[in-house]
Amino acid sequence: MKSLKRTKDITPILGASFNITINNQQVRAAAGETLLSVLLATDHKRIMNNDHHRHCGAYCGMGVCHCCQVKVNDQFKQRACQTLVQPNMTVETLSNRFCEEGIK
Amino acid sequence: MTTPHPVVIVGAGPSGTAAAAQLGKLGINSVVVEEASKIGGVIYRGPLRDSDDLPHLDDNLKRAMDALRTRYSAQQHHIEFLTQTRVLGPEGQNKLLLNKENTLSSIEYQELILATGCHERSVPFPGWQLPGVMLLGGVQLQIKSGLVKPGTRMALVGTGPLLPLVACQLHKAGVDVAGVYEASQFNKLAKEAIALLNKPKLTLSGLSMMAYLKKHDIPFYYGWGIVQAQGNETLQRMAVAPYNECWQANLKHTKTIDVDAIGVGYGFVSRSQLAMLLGAKHQYSQVCGYVPTLDQWQKSSLENTYIVGDANGLLGADAAIFEGQIAAIHIAQKRNKISPKEAEQLAGKVHRKLERIKRFRCGFDRFSARQFGLLELPKEDTVVCRCEQATRGQIDQAIEQGAKDITSLKMRTRIGMGDCQGKTCTSYAIDRLHHAGFIDNIGTVKPRFPLDPIPFTLLEDTHEAL
Repeated sequence: MKSLKRTKDITPILGASFNITINNQQVRAAAGETLLSVLLATDHKRIMNNDHHRHCGAYCGMGVCHCCQVKVNDQFKQRACQTLVQPNMTVETLSNRFCEEGIK
Repeated sequence: MTTPHPVVIVGAGPSGTAAAAQLGKLGINSVVVEEASKIGGVIYRGPLRDSDDLPHLDDNLKRAMDALRTRYSAQQHHIEFLTQTRVLGPEGQNKLLLNKENTLSSIEYQELILATGCHERSVPFPGWQLPGVMLLGGVQLQIKSGLVKPGTRMALVGTGPLLPLVACQLHKAGVDVAGVYEASQFNKLAKEAIALLNKPKLTLSGLSMMAYLKKHDIPFYYGWGIVQAQGNETLQRMAVAPYNECWQANLKHTKTIDVDAIGVGYGFVSRSQLAMLLGAKHQYSQVCGYVPTLDQWQKSSLENTYIVGDANGLLGADAAIFEGQIAAIHIAQKRNKISPKEAEQLAGKVHRKLERIKRFRCGFDRFSARQFGLLELPKEDTVVCRCEQATRGQIDQAIEQGAKDITSLKMRTRIGMGDCQGKTCTSYAIDRLHHAGFIDNIGTVKPRFPLDPIPFTLLEDTHEAL
């Protein structure tokens, strides 16, 4: 599996850390940080594909705007800014149930 | 610590934390419900991951964060802290329904203190949905709590004291800051000199920030603002232009700047959804949206519900701390832990400090008072409601066809019907209706239960809890 580089960290990763998977690529994540921070650290700006097929990025970053929703461990519509990273977490950006599964 | 009817505090920012600490000091136990994993709120939370040093944060901020934590820790045996827990709304009488990691529970209270803070005012302009365009507080949260730079080359647009502060923090964090654009004119700030002298230390620190920007060749423009964000898949450049006194952009003098992220900060709105859902009386404020009506003890129109901090108007963290303390003092008096006289004495000191902050803040509010030019930024096809992709053109049409209030605007255009429950688009819609001449009875997007979306399966699995 390819690895992602964190290029946007202000200070180095210290303390407990583990791997998470973003779009089939592994990246180091520090205990305590939010998924949004890992996405931004690895330069993922396009984060959500909304129900109107519109790609958006993080906007408010504090759980209000619902513009950074991703698929986490097979669950759609999880706010990246409100999700703390966990070991072996699997994340898919730009994923949307309506676009992937359609409406039946 | 199990008290049958504790004080429940929603929000562990400066006001909620201060209320819990003050209650503890007076011998009263409380439960603090917080959506984040740490106390401090957006402003004093600090980094979420380990770090040896914080090169981009100034000593004043670090001191304030430590002070709040120390005060809280001293009373920790009186406080139960529920982290990563969100309030979904009221549940029957004197109870709230909570969601922690998709598990529902409810909590009963004798007194409730709402310390829900504020969120940022969204100002739609062409391109504002491009990834890379962020709200100023969101940018700050990433550098302060995430320890991550949201971009490589950034600019800041908007109004108010947060602009130079975040510009300094971004620069110290290693971001190339291309420019800071303050919508208001400098002479307007100069007129507020007397008000600003109510907090001389804060005013001085503002001046030292401006000096820092100058020293590092970061241009700061007064009377300029955003016009458009541009890029293919993500933000690549932005257009700024001089604003006149009404903040109408002079497009003849538009300037384009290459940036990969922007922070947009045209003000804040009180986060009053829970208070409204509980039925507390509110009134409209031009500065910060719908705010609860309160007495001098921070008590709302509901007998046992207090509202403190930015959730009732935007006075910032210091004032929020004082308001939290005032509510706690009143609860202690009601519970006969202190006499009315002691309560008056304790609160008197705090009230006087609060007054100074109010006078200081009024100066900045007058300087940053938003002007109708902002309403003209979105074009006809610019989206105003992100969740439902409703455009300015649709809003204009609905108003032309007779919509005079938020509810009819909502029914005609679907604004406010998405996941965010109108927190992003309502401010624009209210201003737009006011500008069209409708002032009274326009209402607001009514908050709905649950305040946060939850999966249907959750309700199914835990229907007994409901």
